[in-house]
Amino acid sequence: MTELTAPNVAAAPTRSDRRRKLLQNLLRGERPYMLYIAFVVLLVVFSLSSPWFLSVDNFLNIGRQTTLVSIIAVGMTFVIIARQIDLSVASTLALSGMAAALAMSQVSNSWIVGAAAGLGTGALVGLLNGILTTQLSIPSFLVTLGSLSMARGLAMMVTNTKPVIITNETYFAIFGEGTFLGIPVPIAWTLVAMIVGILLLHYNVFGRRIYAVGGNPTAALYSGINTKWVTTAAFVLTGALAGLAALVLSARSHAARPDVVQGMELDVIAAVILGGCSLFGGRGYILGTLFGSLIIGTLNNGLVLLGVSSPMQLVIKGAIIVAAVAFTKR
Amino acid sequence: MELSGSIAAEPRPSTSLLMVGGINKRFGGVRALRDVNLEVRAGEVHALLGENGAGKSTLIKILSGVHAADGGTIEIAGKPATFDSPARSREAGIAVVYQDLSLVESLSVADNLLLGREPRARFGFVRKRELMARAEAFLGELGIPLDTKAAVGSLPFAYRQMTEIAKALMGEVRLLILDEPTSSLTSDEVRILFDAIGKATRRGVGVIYVTHRLNEVFEISQRVTVLRDGANAGTFVTAETDMKRLVNAIIGTDRLAGAASRAAPAAARALDPSPVLSLSDVSNDRLSAVDLTVMKGEIHGLAGLIGSGRTEILETIFGLRPIERGTFEIEGRPWLPNSPADAIDQGVALVPEDRHVQGLVLDHSIERNITLPRIPHFSRWGFMQQRAAIRRADTAVARLSVKAQGASSLVRTLSGGNQQKVVFGKWNEPRPRVLLLDEPTVGVDVGAREEIYGVIRNAARDGSGVLVVSSDLVELIELCDRISVIVDGRVARTLKRGEIVDAEELHHLLQIYQASGQGVLQEQPA
Repeated sequence: MTELTAPNVAAAPTRSDRRRKLLQNLLRGERPYMLYIAFVVLLVVFSLSSPWFLSVDNFLNIGRQTTLVSIIAVGMTFVIIARQIDLSVASTLALSGMAAALAMSQVSNSWIVGAAAGLGTGALVGLLNGILTTQLSIPSFLVTLGSLSMARGLAMMVTNTKPVIITNETYFAIFGEGTFLGIPVPIAWTLVAMIVGILLLHYNVFGRRIYAVGGNPTAALYSGINTKWVTTAAFVLTGALAGLAALVLSARSHAARPDVVQGMELDVIAAVILGGCSLFGGRGYILGTLFGSLIIGTLNNGLVLLGVSSPMQLVIKGAIIVAAVAFTKR
Repeated sequence: MELSGSIAAEPRPSTSLLMVGGINKRFGGVRALRDVNLEVRAGEVHALLGENGAGKSTLIKILSGVHAADGGTIEIAGKPATFDSPARSREAGIAVVYQDLSLVESLSVADNLLLGREPRARFGFVRKRELMARAEAFLGELGIPLDTKAAVGSLPFAYRQMTEIAKALMGEVRLLILDEPTSSLTSDEVRILFDAIGKATRRGVGVIYVTHRLNEVFEISQRVTVLRDGANAGTFVTAETDMKRLVNAIIGTDRLAGAASRAAPAAARALDPSPVLSLSDVSNDRLSAVDLTVMKGEIHGLAGLIGSGRTEILETIFGLRPIERGTFEIEGRPWLPNSPADAIDQGVALVPEDRHVQGLVLDHSIERNITLPRIPHFSRWGFMQQRAAIRRADTAVARLSVKAQGASSLVRTLSGGNQQKVVFGKWNEPRPRVLLLDEPTVGVDVGAREEIYGVIRNAARDGSGVLVVSSDLVELIELCDRISVIVDGRVARTLKRGEIVDAEELHHLLQIYQASGQGVLQEQPA
């Protein structure tokens, strides 16, 4: 008996309404435009304070440096929208890189074999994360905390912590050093991941289900959605993208090392949250994630160019992330 | 008239513990309470009865300081009192024991009893032994048999409730409010609870006892106050009244007569004799050998107390509960519901009991919610056909007259009735073979309720078989062609339209069949 008056009787939005709405969108809103403004502000500040910042080469540099975070963050966006978290991505990357390098050195020195081994290993870790989370109802925070440790340990065990050299030139060209339509391939792969992510999340049936599962898992179940499968698929996607990032990294360094990118999962999660995803699920978008990751990359790059000491860089980066989230949260 | 004239003899002011006079409360345009009076004496158990939305919850919330009254007076032991916060109400000696208890399950009984009032040593350390001793002494004094060291989470529900009551009595409580305390208790546990209540009243505590189980009213209370549509519908001395009079006061003679007259013309409607869904011997953890048939175009009601298995029958048909035994047929073909997806494929639709938790993604748009059960229908090669989805949602919004700016409005911004229409909209098209409805009008205002009845009747007219669970017996009688009475996970009896005369009779029938669970006229959450 508590139903009140019917709200939302249609009325033409007035100009002041529209202005208020725009302001709301800028500050928080469905798509926090604040994010884009923050990015532009960062660019301006760094351009004014460092003569080396504003150049095509440096931007390509930023692009290359953010590649790994950006690629994995696409998957993480799905996971976080589905109300889960994946802490294992950096370890998965290391393990997938080892798998790719070993497959090429031990099985067959073909880039296809390497790529399949790397992507497959990443997807497999994701599958295990997803199955443990959904079938045993263990919170994904704990599941992936465990697989963070296990995947890293396995990566170190297979060669007793030694790196594995890669000699396949085609592999280098495709994943690390070549260009595609004039774009360095690491950036091209990031774009591919982004586009696939946008299509999947915003235009595909799968994306609809991800949003529903994260927005209200019970209502999704009652609407006939296989919530366990959808959640697992998000983990598999993230794992496979960690595998792709592993291919890019190992092709760039001509070797796979088991101790790479430790702690990178935090950059990935920060990028996704900066990009406007809600940790409570049901909300977020890929373009936001891209900008979140670009902000983190630009910060890293700009602070180095300004000669800020690396301990100070960590402090500034952390403070800016917290401030940005405080601004953009709903 | 008898009801209004049956106010109990004027109490002596000296024994009056709580005096509520002329309380009014509005929520927006709805008058939740109109000039409500209530008087509770020291040492008395005073039962408070009423249908869904009669105002019991609102009155309790005013007494516990959650809501402020718009007008009227509250006196505690002759002194005027105003409650602007739960803390003030607590200070005045009023304690509410809610159905969802406010205990910390991981802590022991003793820890819970003295939570926030622990005996302390220096630097904030807890004197554990003194705490235990005080708790044990207090329980001994009350004569409540509780193990003070046991973790509350490990206790049966009745003992948790006792802990809650003991906790309330530990403070300076003068008035104890129990809100449907027996809803999830076994009959042995009810005994224990009643003992504890007796111990409280012997100490001079007044008790307001909210319930739907009329037999309990006769067992434990000295007086009864009935609320109907936010106003007093009579106060009775329990020993001088009977069940029939109470039911009359609860439901209201007008509404009984109205439902009967509206029900009459539809009685002539002949049913299509082909069954669209039939269950035989279906059993699982909550159901035992359910036999049930729903005809094409039939509205079939399930009446029963909470905990009788009504909701579980719907959930089993919708593939949400594993089946141990029994067979299903849908339009004559055998079928076993494995999952909601499977049920939806067979043309089964469910409007669940709790639309916020089970029915809707509140932060998503109407369009997203409506297309949720049939996402693949709005896609080609896996990609969403955005325009088709919006068109479909627009149609549903128009057909169900959902009051909203458009299909892109967030569901959270809609009123309860309009939200419920959106849940119906999820199953609007294609027409479901079987439409399962669980409490379809809970938390919906009168106007929207009529509209929802229209939607249900249209679905049946278009050939769906409708299975509807409701605690509102007048609603069942108004809507249904047949009503099955559910007791202990079984169909105890199926009544045809001619056999059910009125809600009063059905109410009696349920009280007779009552085995466990709470009363019929379930209070809705505010």
